Amino acid sequence: MTPTRTLPSTGPRALSASLWYLAAAIVTVALVEGPLLVAANPEYPAVVAIFPIVGLLYSAMGLVAWWRRPSNRVGGVLVLGGLFWMLSGLSNATQPVLIAVGQITATLPFAVLAHLLLVFPTGRTLVRGSRVVIATAYATTLFLQAPIYLFGPDHPGSPLLVALRPDVVAMAQAFQRGCAAAIVIATAVLVVRRYRASTPAVRRALAPVAAYGLFALALVPLSANVISPLTGMDPITLFVVQAIVLGFVPVALLLGVLRGGFARTGEIVELGAWFRSHRDRSELTKALGDSLGDPTVELAFWIEEQSRHVDLDGGQVDLPDPSSGRAWSPIVLDGRQIGAIVYDESLVADPDLVDIAGQVLAIGLDRQRLTVELISSRDALRESRSRIVEADERVRRQLARDLHDGLQGRLVVLAIEAQRLTNQLPAGTEREQAAQLRSGLDVAIDELRGVVYDVMPALLIERGLPAATLEVVERMPIPTELVCDPRIRRLPATIESAAFFVIAEALANGLKHSRADRMSVSLGVEDEVLLVEVADDGVGGAVPRTGGGLGGVADRVEALGGRVRLTSPPGVGTRMVVRLPCAS
Amino acid sequence: MRVVIGEDEALMREGLSLVMTGGGIDVTAVAGSAPELVRIVEDHRPDLVISDIRMPPDHVDDGLKAVLALRRSRPGLPVVVLSHHVQRQYAAELLSEGTGGVGYLLKHRVADIDGFLGDLRVVASGGTVLDPEVVAAMVERARRTASAVEALTPRQRDVLSLIAEGRTNGAIARRLAITEKTVVQHTSVIYDRLGLAETGDDHRRVLAVLRYLAG
Repeated sequence: MTPTRTLPSTGPRALSASLWYLAAAIVTVALVEGPLLVAANPEYPAVVAIFPIVGLLYSAMGLVAWWRRPSNRVGGVLVLGGLFWMLSGLSNATQPVLIAVGQITATLPFAVLAHLLLVFPTGRTLVRGSRVVIATAYATTLFLQAPIYLFGPDHPGSPLLVALRPDVVAMAQAFQRGCAAAIVIATAVLVVRRYRASTPAVRRALAPVAAYGLFALALVPLSANVISPLTGMDPITLFVVQAIVLGFVPVALLLGVLRGGFARTGEIVELGAWFRSHRDRSELTKALGDSLGDPTVELAFWIEEQSRHVDLDGGQVDLPDPSSGRAWSPIVLDGRQIGAIVYDESLVADPDLVDIAGQVLAIGLDRQRLTVELISSRDALRESRSRIVEADERVRRQLARDLHDGLQGRLVVLAIEAQRLTNQLPAGTEREQAAQLRSGLDVAIDELRGVVYDVMPALLIERGLPAATLEVVERMPIPTELVCDPRIRRLPATIESAAFFVIAEALANGLKHSRADRMSVSLGVEDEVLLVEVADDGVGGAVPRTGGGLGGVADRVEALGGRVRLTSPPGVGTRMVVRLPCAS
Repeated sequence: MRVVIGEDEALMREGLSLVMTGGGIDVTAVAGSAPELVRIVEDHRPDLVISDIRMPPDHVDDGLKAVLALRRSRPGLPVVVLSHHVQRQYAAELLSEGTGGVGYLLKHRVADIDGFLGDLRVVASGGTVLDPEVVAAMVERARRTASAVEALTPRQRDVLSLIAEGRTNGAIARRLAITEKTVVQHTSVIYDRLGLAETGDDHRRVLAVLRYLAG
């Protein structure tokens, strides 16, 4: 499915800018109107101030809704409502032109309220007949109002008075009352019908706003035609009561719109950006819900091997039927459906934007999936290399122990036996042979000691890295310095071995190739990382080879999560730095 | 002479016992672990203790630690420690107290039966014996860290090494195929260069040299 709606060419910035201008204009009108009305009506300054105040309230809420949900008409209608409130108050001014404007727009706020209730929360009418009702409401408040100021003594100095025809006025007022009642009833019916067709989650969101809105709508004609005559309320009080009740409507509507309604493409773009900076899938559903304005949105992922959709926790998800009020939109990548977005039809009326969200998700999900695969395979690889090193370590230590405990002792005892034999024999060839046997065994003992040392030096096991390094350094034929951080205590066995063999190998290489006069070894620790440096002042030009001596021990270091750096400028010398994380 | 052996390797234990009983030495008791060694020595009060450095329970340097503890409670108790490998640092620890009657030998040295028995007797009488390999490592290190040792001639360094091993002048002379008088001349120069006091006591001079070498 490709989106048929074209994206707006102006970006989010342009929209914000024009909304600021509109806000400024509205505030200016209010600031002009307020003092004007107060000056013209010094007995009731607070009462006339209600007009610009409520107008500002409607406009402010409308501007916010328009900004957050630009494709949702509710914002615009609220701003219009605010404007009508301010205009209708102008009938309390003294200038004839203003009075005329006020008279014409006097009851428009009522129509706006009906309009709002019928397009809430998505900005579009969802139930058949809503358009008719809205049109009727505007017609009633515009045209049926006309006879009142054209033919009636509505206002002292009515500028629009044509003729005094109280009969026409009475008829118009009666007709208007009837129409108002009809509009209230029709609106209520439609709102209830919409409510009944919604899912329980949506009903929970809609009910309070719709209920309050209907109450406010009904209050206008009710208070004017029933309550006021019954209680003898004066017009001023009646007006204040209506204004207060109606004044809360935009607040309620705004809350409802922000929870419902749906996103513009700007927010979809934000969803993509959010995706790039967040890896956590569980926040994705919430972010998607915020963008689409549907808190009940669900994400489903298609698992090829199991031929089913699952949710974030791996539980099975069945895609909804078309008639259930919930719809779904596929997430498609490279022609394959990799998942679906399930949403509430009444909260998210435009499937095209859901498709766009799906496309953003597809790209982000694929990248995330690849990243996760890469990370997990890299982690698995590192862990397996680390396990290999640890297994090797165990084998070496076991071997050293076996050789040390078993074989070496056995050879020494044999040598003792050979010597005793030699001592017992009289001088002659046999004694010579026994002596040779003895020296042969000495050689074997010596060689075995060398092998054991190469496999795992005893001092490394017994006293740890600093002691074993010191021993190697002391055996060096050229002056070698050892600097050791006294904070280094026993480290994990694999770390000590890896570090030790790197040092031994580096020193051996230096001796063999570098023609250096002096070498140095330094052991340090920094933030749970072991730092080993081996340097010489020889000919330099050393290159690490994979597989060969230094390459092999470097592999071991890297398998444990460490790093080996070799710098060897020709003529200057060679320096090797090893970093090994030793948090155990 | 009554001796207590500390050794957990069965074969080695037997070998040691054989060598010693063959040399007329009484093996009073045998211990298989460091704690057991301490107990047995306190019970039997031998003339000499021989122990492997690496022993249960930790198999690190338990034997060495046990022996040092025994010498603290009975200063001058003659001890000989054995190990398969040269560890210069262990020698330094043994010598750190300053009293004689210590020996550090590599295990395969036991196969030099006569030499080994001689070494035991030297230690039992308060002398100090170090395995030649251990001494070589110490001299080598000293050569690089102390200019005085570096300044000695190779022959003088040989003499120094043999002194450190605990050999008598006569033994040194035989070893190097020179006269005893030459040996004495060399030792004079050595003491002079190293700043050590001349002492007639063989044991004490070995100790002095060793302490010098051990740093």
